[in-house]
Amino acid sequence: MTAPTSLPALTKMTKVEVVVPGSEAHAVRELIQSVGATGYTSLSGVSGLGHHGYRQGRLLFNQQATLELIITVVPAGKADALLAGLLPLLDASSGVMFVTETFVSRPDYFS
Amino acid sequence: MTTTTETSTRRARLRTDVTLAAKVVPTHYPLETFIAVNPLAGLEGMPFEQAIRRAGDLYGMQGTLGEPVFRDMHRQGRITDEDLDRVLRRRYPNLTAEPALSIGGRQVSPQDLLRADLLHGLDAPKPLRRFTTRAEENAPAIADTVDAQTSKWCSAFFGGAAWPLPGREKGFYAAWRALAPADRSLSRAVRADLRRAAQRADDAVLEALTRLGVADDARIPYLQAHLTRMPGWAAHVQWCAGREAGIDALDYLAMRLTYEAALLAAHRGPVGPAADEQPADLPSARLRAAHLIEAMGLTAAGDDELAAAARVLTALPVTAREVLWQNAFEAHYRDELLTTLAEPRQRVPSGPPHTQFVSCIDTRSEGFRRHLESLGGYETLGFAGFFAVAIRYTDIVGGQPNDLCPVLIAPNHDITEAPAPDADGAVARQVAGVSTLAGAESAFHAAKEAFAAPFTLAEAAGWAAAPLSAAKTLAPAASAGLRRRLRAAVAPAAPTVINLDGMPHNEQVLFAQVALTTMGLTKGFGRLVVLCSHGSTTENNPYQASLDCGACGGQAGAPNSRTAVAILNRPEVRAGLCSLGIEIPADTLFVAAQHDTAVDRITLLDLHLIPAEYDGDIARLRDDVAEAGALLAAERSAQLPGAARELSPARAARHVVTRSSDWAQVYPEWGLAGNAAFIVAPREVTRGIDLQRRTFLHSYEAEVDTDASALETILTAPLVVAQWINCQYYFSTVSPQVFGAGTKTIHNVVGKVGVIAGHTGDLQLGLPWQSVSDGERLLHEPLRLMAVVQAPLARIDTIVERNPILQELFGNDWVALAARENPEQPWQRWTRAGWRPWEEIGGTENANPTHDSNYNEEMVP
Repeated sequence: MTAPTSLPALTKMTKVEVVVPGSEAHAVRELIQSVGATGYTSLSGVSGLGHHGYRQGRLLFNQQATLELIITVVPAGKADALLAGLLPLLDASSGVMFVTETFVSRPDYFS
Repeated sequence: MTTTTETSTRRARLRTDVTLAAKVVPTHYPLETFIAVNPLAGLEGMPFEQAIRRAGDLYGMQGTLGEPVFRDMHRQGRITDEDLDRVLRRRYPNLTAEPALSIGGRQVSPQDLLRADLLHGLDAPKPLRRFTTRAEENAPAIADTVDAQTSKWCSAFFGGAAWPLPGREKGFYAAWRALAPADRSLSRAVRADLRRAAQRADDAVLEALTRLGVADDARIPYLQAHLTRMPGWAAHVQWCAGREAGIDALDYLAMRLTYEAALLAAHRGPVGPAADEQPADLPSARLRAAHLIEAMGLTAAGDDELAAAARVLTALPVTAREVLWQNAFEAHYRDELLTTLAEPRQRVPSGPPHTQFVSCIDTRSEGFRRHLESLGGYETLGFAGFFAVAIRYTDIVGGQPNDLCPVLIAPNHDITEAPAPDADGAVARQVAGVSTLAGAESAFHAAKEAFAAPFTLAEAAGWAAAPLSAAKTLAPAASAGLRRRLRAAVAPAAPTVINLDGMPHNEQVLFAQVALTTMGLTKGFGRLVVLCSHGSTTENNPYQASLDCGACGGQAGAPNSRTAVAILNRPEVRAGLCSLGIEIPADTLFVAAQHDTAVDRITLLDLHLIPAEYDGDIARLRDDVAEAGALLAAERSAQLPGAARELSPARAARHVVTRSSDWAQVYPEWGLAGNAAFIVAPREVTRGIDLQRRTFLHSYEAEVDTDASALETILTAPLVVAQWINCQYYFSTVSPQVFGAGTKTIHNVVGKVGVIAGHTGDLQLGLPWQSVSDGERLLHEPLRLMAVVQAPLARIDTIVERNPILQELFGNDWVALAARENPEQPWQRWTRAGWRPWEEIGGTENANPTHDSNYNEEMVP
């Protein structure tokens, strides 16, 4: 796959989106940082329907039991290490992961 | 040649393995915010019975009381034959249909035989730690050396000593790596080995695992063997994760594994497993049958009879008996409680209450509420003691703010204490006085810990310190009174207010709506509504935070009740509530208070903010809370070691004050010992019943909670915290060697982190033995929590379905859930297969794991 022709200056990267229980989110963020990713976006209290049934969104007084969506973008060279760490982590929890190619306009922000 | 990508991949994979391995380790909070936790929280994904077996493999610990203790309870009548039979029938539904056996000329039913096995059967072997390190397996002395080094370096890192660990600011692993090779207690070869330790902790772990011959697929259990060897330090390291404390599980394991690899490499002595750690054989069913036949006084049985009895006994492995005992132990209490709650009670005729008194759900509040209600005119309610305001609070003196909310959430608002109008001067005097006292105390302690200053200090201050120490020992109450008066003279308390600027108006209205709806107080307001937080005043007690409010992060909750009251008294907030359908009468006044649970004294807060027209109401309230407190003190004194029995309320009130001031007192109060149930229902369900301070009481009115949000909040937060408390008391009692803190009498405090027993060793987890036992008998009965809910069953189902945390707690038997829609309905028990009548299924486990499952092969919980 190549960059859209209308945006020739974009650089290809790997986007990793992870949905995990809040209690696991710290481990995911730590792993992302440990492989040298320069940042991530976190969204807590996400809800939805999946393999384990419907999952409640925000709970008033419990941030650990709700799901969190964490998104990061890394160059291909760092993606392998990140995935190697994430796969067993998700095998042991109820989380899911989506990996896609993405394109960014400022690659230096992500390298 | 290893490429950079391969190296990064190996490191990332290792980091995840460490994360997964560390799930079996609890989280140990520092002493100042000591929070109750379930030490087996990482195993809650398993059924309880399986989790305690796994914990036995990891720690070599008991998961229930031992059979000798249960058998004693049976002899004392605390567990009856009927309790045992019901549990047996519930676990083996076909048992009663089985034909009787003929043994030695007598007819013995299978149920009699299994009951006899519970009562007289051959002992089950003690759990044995099966996750072991190479050093444990081959050279136990080296395992001890690794532990001693762990204790030394962790104490140095966490201890906050006057001479800090050199290089501490670079983090634990870097500091250790720089210093450890200079340790002359180790051989030259080991020191040379340590000098070659990798610069990065992850690389050091990978290298050590390779040297120790640990394959990648055996890595997680091996890391768990190291983490569970000294679970206290590992648990505190777990708490440090994400707090930029300079240490994480990887650093900790790097140190331990590097030592182990280096010490084993240099080891020249004999190797071999420790002789006393061979697993004991389980007695065969035939042997058990022969033993029972003799114990039951039956005459010699023939081979066929023995074989028939053995066949029955194979249904009940010896390793499963303790869990059956546990179920019977719990069923006795639970059945009685549910029966009591279901009994029709005559409603006490009374007019509308003049005062609503809202306490924390804490079990200790139940006693106070009961006594206060007995005085008439009061309606009491239970609500989580942070009163729904999750705040980061800075008091008038300033300094470090405190997070006053359950650890399940982060504080939403920065709240500060400010001088009351026209009180700037008084506040300035108070702040200056507090600074003077703090400075004097700090100087005294600094002088004690400095190199030569103690000699001078003894000369300069010994004349005062010695009599003061004698007074604290011989006359604790008088001494405490003197210190209070001194403090009041130097730093007189000034009137202050809670500054709500950090909380926008719309959020204040939202808070007020959530708080009142969740506690079910939306109409019928009295003239006073008291929000009463709690804390505990004790002397020389590192575990004081364990007696404070769990919903306030292990601290006293006065700032929360003051904040909630300040909001609820604002006319603008009441106008906002009115538009939401909650009309608070103009003459209703909210009042903040705090219950000191060590002395059963209620202090009314912010009295300077109360208009004079309420003077009569406040005077009555003050008298009544004093009387209720004295009645509660008398009730509690009957169980306090060393207190005279049957004290009058007045004498009991004086006794508990002396007790709380005594710096040698190891039993200042019983905290939440005895906790066993969590009741979510209107007070009518429990009013008038002496629940013996064993139940968390959360008010709930199903008809007010039309969208189920209040019940969902209660079940996903206060219930979860109550379950942590319940499990902490449970495991501190059944497994005091691993998850209890041992005796207070030999505790040494390590910085602000925790205590160790004696001068070295592991950080102590859980509660001291004096929190659960009076030395001769258990004051805490280790029962798993039972949640009792009065609400539509379909509503509860919906909530459980969308919250996996509840599916785990209820489905894996960490908490039993009993419910009914209204008092006319019988109690039902939630099971994975739907609601079942409590009478049929009450003591049955939801999950009934088989005993031959090869769970040792699972590597992660």
